[in-house]
Amino acid sequence: MNNTHPRVLLAKIGLDGHDRGVKVLARSFRDAGIEVIYTGLWQTCEATMHAALQEDVDVVGVSLLSAAHLTVMPEMLRLRRELDIEHIPVVLGGIVPESDHASLRDMGVAAVFNPGSPLDKIIEKMRELANGQPSPRLDDIRAGYAKKNPRSLSKLITLVGRGEGLSGWTPPSGKAKVIGITGAPGVGKSSFIGRLGKLLRAKAKKVAVVAIDPSSPITGGALLGDRLRMMTGSPDADFFIRSLSSGDVQGGLAPHCREVVAVLNGYGFDYILVETVGAGQADIAIRTIADRTILLLMPDSGDAIQFSKAGIMEIASCFVLNKCDLAGADAAQAQILTAVDDDRPLWKVSTVRDEGIDAVADWVTST
Amino acid sequence: MRVRTSVNASASPANEQEVKPFVDPEDLGAFNPAKALGEPGSFPYTRGVHRTMYRDRLWTMRQFAGFGSAEDTNGRFKYLLEHGQTGLSTAFDLPTLMGRDSDDPLALGEVGRCGVAIASLADVRRLFDGIDLGVVSTSMTINAPAAILLAFYIAVGQEQGVPLNRLRGTLQNDILKEFHAQNEYVFPPAPSVKLVVDTIEYCTKHLPQWNTVSISGYHIREAGATAAQELAFTLADGIAYVEASIQRGLAVDDFAPRLSFFFDVHNDFFEEIAKLRAARRIWAYVMRDRFKAKQERSWLLRMHCQTAGVTLTEQQPMNNVVRVAFQALAGVLGGTQSLHTNSMDETLALPTEEAAKLALRTQQIIAHETNVSQTVDPLGGSYFVEKLTNEIEATAYGIFDQIDAMGGVLKAIDRGYFRRAIAESSLDQQRELDRGGQKIVGVTDFVEKGRHGVPTLKITQETEDVQIAQLKALKQSRDKARHRAALERLRSDAQDGANVMPALIEAAEADATVGEMMDTMKTVFGSYDGGPEW
Repeated sequence: MNNTHPRVLLAKIGLDGHDRGVKVLARSFRDAGIEVIYTGLWQTCEATMHAALQEDVDVVGVSLLSAAHLTVMPEMLRLRRELDIEHIPVVLGGIVPESDHASLRDMGVAAVFNPGSPLDKIIEKMRELANGQPSPRLDDIRAGYAKKNPRSLSKLITLVGRGEGLSGWTPPSGKAKVIGITGAPGVGKSSFIGRLGKLLRAKAKKVAVVAIDPSSPITGGALLGDRLRMMTGSPDADFFIRSLSSGDVQGGLAPHCREVVAVLNGYGFDYILVETVGAGQADIAIRTIADRTILLLMPDSGDAIQFSKAGIMEIASCFVLNKCDLAGADAAQAQILTAVDDDRPLWKVSTVRDEGIDAVADWVTST
Repeated sequence: MRVRTSVNASASPANEQEVKPFVDPEDLGAFNPAKALGEPGSFPYTRGVHRTMYRDRLWTMRQFAGFGSAEDTNGRFKYLLEHGQTGLSTAFDLPTLMGRDSDDPLALGEVGRCGVAIASLADVRRLFDGIDLGVVSTSMTINAPAAILLAFYIAVGQEQGVPLNRLRGTLQNDILKEFHAQNEYVFPPAPSVKLVVDTIEYCTKHLPQWNTVSISGYHIREAGATAAQELAFTLADGIAYVEASIQRGLAVDDFAPRLSFFFDVHNDFFEEIAKLRAARRIWAYVMRDRFKAKQERSWLLRMHCQTAGVTLTEQQPMNNVVRVAFQALAGVLGGTQSLHTNSMDETLALPTEEAAKLALRTQQIIAHETNVSQTVDPLGGSYFVEKLTNEIEATAYGIFDQIDAMGGVLKAIDRGYFRRAIAESSLDQQRELDRGGQKIVGVTDFVEKGRHGVPTLKITQETEDVQIAQLKALKQSRDKARHRAALERLRSDAQDGANVMPALIEAAEADATVGEMMDTMKTVFGSYDGGPEW
């Protein structure tokens, strides 16, 4: 497959917090036109490989400075086999003694980068690995999707997101409720979705998330970082998270977002949570695909006043005031109540303390 | 000629300053030596914290060590003590640093790997077996679970019959820089700082010889900050701890003398010296004028320095010995109180004993052969160094203003300010390197074909298995009712906003593990996902 914008998952595994290298790579990849999914610190091998499957990435890059590479990499490759995603190359970067390189390559690690590897060489290798992948046949993908193969679902989303794969075929209609989640940058949308999703899973609901981050208008690359705040607890096939880039679409969604949601719906999810870019007041395209829209606000941001002047307050089905562990929550609540003079509900929550979100989950499942 | 310096807040090329081929007296402007420098050992301490500095007492050569099990490290400690070392410096493994037990799924492959594995009081008892805590001083490099490790240390001291006021040592205990750079945080920023203040308060009352916080720029710099950012962010963190402790009701002169600092010494020789000199001057003014400290000991910025691990290269690793020597010399000319020199094999693995010894020898050669220890602040009065000192100081004050405008350090963390600033500087430096604007011997220039391998240290998987087995046995054999009651007291003290130190000591004595105590506090304090900027 020849990708203009390959998708690369960058992962830190274990407890090692040295993330200078991985952050420089993430930004440089974005600037080189790559879509980067960064899963953040403190991930397990299992969660990382499940993410690779759900995100349909072209390459997985692991950053390790903890000297645990000879324990971690075999486990990564074992999981890759178990999940049947052996087509995805896995590369390693970090402090890796030269004497370990050969055994890492022998076990199946596609490349090893040490401190001091030039960025352009690393980027070149990523493109080479991404372009070396075979293209699966569309019929096979559709057949796998019909049999509920998560790998096929993942691949189909990639195609549909590019405007391909739907001609002469429509996904079966589903019964999912589509919930839009919008709000300004930094308000905590992703953390909120992570916790809301977990509560819905506890009610035995199957949950899919579509998380949208902006693309660089210049290179078309993107840094997709929402997923890292959603990945809590062990991976779960019925909690499917997919990160998308906004491309050149305005209004807070991604290209062909409606079709992606339809594909997820036809697969059999009960709830599809769509996180908008978070550009703020102009993020109103979500109303065209969501059954309900939750607007996230936070204390001390002036959002309530700003938003009351714009369309976004009007499209919200309900309001969630996040970060209520911080000062100013009561004042913000009063502000919102003044700006909204109807009976749409408002909840106070704290994702940091995991408080108040169960009430929102109850509302989601009862309306 | 364009020479790059990074005294500006941003290292981007647009902000590069031209370094003049030589500096004139006029470049210093209205420079008043009496006011800007004073004499060594007197306000504002630009020239050093003691009048005679290294003539009377050399800096402490404090090499950081720790690996494998408590028994392994205990053996290394005893070896060091037998060879005349009086201070111990403990490196913990990643699971311990993150407040997780050795059997936690995320600890896979990391137990005992980068330091010693500690899960319970039994491990600390083994770590200090046969070592008199009334005699040695112990430095513990740990942050999020620092209060727990202090509780373990106190409990072992009590078992040995050592009165609290005789325990001597240092906790790194600097959680703020974890949010900016090193990422070993667990709780959100506000409760994290509350825990630090709990230890400051407890030590001020009971452990008067304990250095409570080692406020660290090292990790900020290693993560990619410029020298000026390192200086400014570190001192801003110091200011935040002082403010929080005063809010607790402590008198500034009661706790300030036990705060110390930890800086990186990087490659740009004179800039690093200027940074250390400026740090002392800024802190003296801040403590005297902003916080109205009366005692001279509160005004002094005492520091530990370490050479810059990030400058070492895998290619031609012997070159690292030379880099470390120059950096160490800058630390000494900058007037540090103690120094760690990195080993040349650190970009490859944990240091071998040979490499660690060579690093120590480097300090000894500077101390005993070069004579630089004979004259205090020998660069004082150099037009160039004084100008650099003034510039980096001014940049730091500019950054303080930005942080104050955001409402202080905690608010700036909420906005992702520090992480964003550091990541941008780090990317700028990488681009500068890729553009060919910064030469690295053996990497960008003077490259040799083939590799010159050096031997590296191997740590076996066995430590992890043994440690996990011991932990399981402990969980079976401890007094379960006592254990449960101690954790419940910890939870309720945390809930009530009380100082948790007494409850942590009780939990330690009831064989609660690091992971259990952290999890108990998490139910009250919450956990943190890194803020808006990852």
